[in-house]
Amino acid sequence: MSDELLQRAAQAAELATTAGANDVWASARQGRDVEFEYREGALEKVKDTTSRELSLRLFVDGRYSSHQTTDLNPDRLSSFVREAVAITRALEPDEHRFITPAELFAGRPDADLDLIDPTVETLDRDQRVEWCSVLDDVSHANDKVISATAGVYDGTSMAASVSSNGFSGSQSSTYCWFGASVTLRDRGDKRAEDGFYAGGRHVDDLPDAAGVGQTALDRALARLDSEKGPTMKGSMLVDSRAAASLVSRLLGPANARNVQQGRSFWSSILDQQVFSPALSVIDDPLIVRGLGSRHYDSEGIAAKRLPIIENGVVRNIYVDTYYGRKGGMTPTTGRASNRVITPGELSLEQLLGEVGDGVYVTSWLGGNADSTTGDFSLGLRGHMIEGGKIGRPVGEMNVTGNLKDLFARIELVGNDPYPYSTTLAPSMVFSDVDFSGA
Amino acid sequence: MKRRTFLGHVAAGSAVVSMPAFLSGCGVPTAVSLSDQTPQNPFMDWFGVDQASVARVMSELTANGADAADLYFQHSRNNFVQLEDGIVSNANSRISQGVGLRVVIGEQTGYAFTEDLTTASMLAAARTAAAIARGGDVVAPQSFVAQDMGGMYTTSMPWADVGIDRKLPILKFVEQKAKSMDPAVEKVAVYWSDQDERVMIATLDGRLVMDHRPMTRCTVTVTARKGEEVQSGYSNIAARQDFAWYTEDRLTTMVQEAVDRTMILFDARRPPAGEMPVILASGASGILLHEAIGHGMEADFNRKGTSIYSDMIGKKVAEPFITIVDHADIPNERGALNYDDEGNRAGRTTLVEDGILTSYLHDEISAKQYGLKPTGSGRRQSYKYAPMPPMSCTFMKDGPHTKDEIIASVDRGIICETYTNGQVQIGAGDYTFYVKNGWLVENGKITAPIKDVNIIGNGPESLQRISMVANDARLDTGGWTCGKNGQQVPVSQGIPTVKVSTMTVGGENVG
Repeated sequence: MSDELLQRAAQAAELATTAGANDVWASARQGRDVEFEYREGALEKVKDTTSRELSLRLFVDGRYSSHQTTDLNPDRLSSFVREAVAITRALEPDEHRFITPAELFAGRPDADLDLIDPTVETLDRDQRVEWCSVLDDVSHANDKVISATAGVYDGTSMAASVSSNGFSGSQSSTYCWFGASVTLRDRGDKRAEDGFYAGGRHVDDLPDAAGVGQTALDRALARLDSEKGPTMKGSMLVDSRAAASLVSRLLGPANARNVQQGRSFWSSILDQQVFSPALSVIDDPLIVRGLGSRHYDSEGIAAKRLPIIENGVVRNIYVDTYYGRKGGMTPTTGRASNRVITPGELSLEQLLGEVGDGVYVTSWLGGNADSTTGDFSLGLRGHMIEGGKIGRPVGEMNVTGNLKDLFARIELVGNDPYPYSTTLAPSMVFSDVDFSGA
Repeated sequence: MKRRTFLGHVAAGSAVVSMPAFLSGCGVPTAVSLSDQTPQNPFMDWFGVDQASVARVMSELTANGADAADLYFQHSRNNFVQLEDGIVSNANSRISQGVGLRVVIGEQTGYAFTEDLTTASMLAAARTAAAIARGGDVVAPQSFVAQDMGGMYTTSMPWADVGIDRKLPILKFVEQKAKSMDPAVEKVAVYWSDQDERVMIATLDGRLVMDHRPMTRCTVTVTARKGEEVQSGYSNIAARQDFAWYTEDRLTTMVQEAVDRTMILFDARRPPAGEMPVILASGASGILLHEAIGHGMEADFNRKGTSIYSDMIGKKVAEPFITIVDHADIPNERGALNYDDEGNRAGRTTLVEDGILTSYLHDEISAKQYGLKPTGSGRRQSYKYAPMPPMSCTFMKDGPHTKDEIIASVDRGIICETYTNGQVQIGAGDYTFYVKNGWLVENGKITAPIKDVNIIGNGPESLQRISMVANDARLDTGGWTCGKNGQQVPVSQGIPTVKVSTMTVGGENVG
């Protein structure tokens, strides 16, 4: 299959060259995604799809543009590519726009990242239905359940790229996930709800289906009788799943584009001790079976481990070739792979004990952050921490501050990284946080 | 005219380079509509199918039985152009074409799609989708009756005929305007997008629905510096409109908003944290309706019993001067539609009338379950997704108060003016929206600018707490996109100035 995709990409590149492109980066993708969902003991949705796409990045007379199409009919593809070249010619020249230099392809790793599980393609309806049925049974196992939806999600994706300056590569991966979401009868018209999704690259990375259903149910049960917590300043313990999302917000503007465009609080902080010494983040594209693992990025830059933050000191940001050139930064990679936060020593229970009193955040609700200043404000759900234990459930609260300041105040990091995300973050404790509530 | 020749024509006429006309007043060349050129059904030709092949695929799709089924053909062409650092050196074009095949039995849905519109490939996808159904007897139609085209977004010229060279001067104009408005403006970025989308839906009951949907958006981002301090802000306008819509006045208003929103940030601070009265300025504050009630009224949640509004139809949920509607028939609005993506006429739904909860937003599955007619709310992001019921243009009608009365009534609270995003938990009813710009109100007067606070509340509680509604209702001109079930659809929102007696405001300086 990857040979066919390589060929498809090469043909498109040739079309572009013939149409007048000086340089071209062509990629062909194909994938299959299957979704089986159960609700209230019956199959509710089956979705089985294959999709494909061809994409081109064109460099014509010092000008640049990019194009995608799902219409691979040869005649129409030819006219699409001719038009794409003409569009490029109508733009303005830009000295920083040129194809990824071949030296950045060099040293591409060839280690087997084990991203493909052939058994995913052979999963049949009966197997998926059986898993759904287990997930469904367990997630309904409480009198308060109004509705629960459980699903099995799996698929394969393949991509191949070629460039006019000698790049050629293909990458494929599979995935297989379980998920369940549960809604419970709460006080009055209110419903308590939560869910849990877990999976990986291989079928044997799947956790026990019953366990996933149980976690979804338990998480929803923990929301019953939730009330608005107090307006206060205090400690915040963020669980590993919510921490992954918070770290993603922190790293959002940590890239050359935001910095060069003047829209990043990561400007001018390289090699400075900006964050807490408890925080280390590395971008690691080479984790075996990793959800963000790869041999090269979308520009063809060879994958390598990239320290982002070491003990609170900023070591690197994400730098693509264009904004790197324009902003005088050496390209690293423009796109995050697996972001690994170095875990600490303490378990969640120990962290709770260390905090004593505060707020335990289990998920966020809305909110945003200003990428230029780092000012943020987020809605939260979780529990009060009382005497070192998880206490009453709270919601309808906000936490507000500045991301740079907040991550300077990490007190402790747990030993429990969340595995079901490309951001592998453990639980984290922050001090002096502003909460708004009742 | 068959597809290939037609497309050849489009490619030739799809002006990559055309006469620059922007700001010179002649941006409306002769419109050439599809129907003028093609005696046959132009949409069938466009997709390279005919009555017989569509009927054959429908028959295969419903071979194991069906209560409803549809084929959703879609072709969309998106163009994107970007200006940064004074140079227009990045553009993107994208063609997405495919057909989604759906079969529904009771509450069960089988779904497949293919990007290869040959009959063989469509038949294979139909068999995949049909696998969910077991038994049942359905007679698929042998032919499909074309329905009237709607007139919600008639434009003078399709985007396919507007060359990129005509867009460049607009981007340059926006940049120059922004730079001229304040010397502190250091960087300006302008992002342009336009979309031409053709949809053809064949339904099990023999209807053939066609819609040609334009969409465009222009966004300007401004970064300003005062000494060491850097602030950035943005504004955008979006609509189902054509090139002629981008007048100098409209663009200038957008740029002024972006510059004002950015410059005010140098003086803005965080409000105190906690519960306080909140005034929502007219327009974009319609985000309150979207999150606090709109999602909770989507019938997919209610038929499953998972919405906090599941048992509230007919009950009083707000003061009697409050009426909240979802209208798809507002011409050229971003959320406007002629037909929804199940082929039903998109129309008007009243969610709350004089304070009483009246109707959910239904797609075909929920309407059938409730024994009602669909409200034309079945929408999808693309052929890759099965339809679901989101909102279209959601707004609150005028009330009895004035904006000045509302501000004067608040001793200590805030006004929310611009927003970036919101979210809701359907079951608990808790929702949030993020306020980018706003004002502090003290002793009935506006005193200082505020920024970057999340507001959180509970939907039904907030509705009950809307204590005043002004008479200045308007729809927001910015482009909003609703995310639901992993899909994104364009929506509009609006509201008059309203006062919510208490909400929880994210803030700092907690004592």
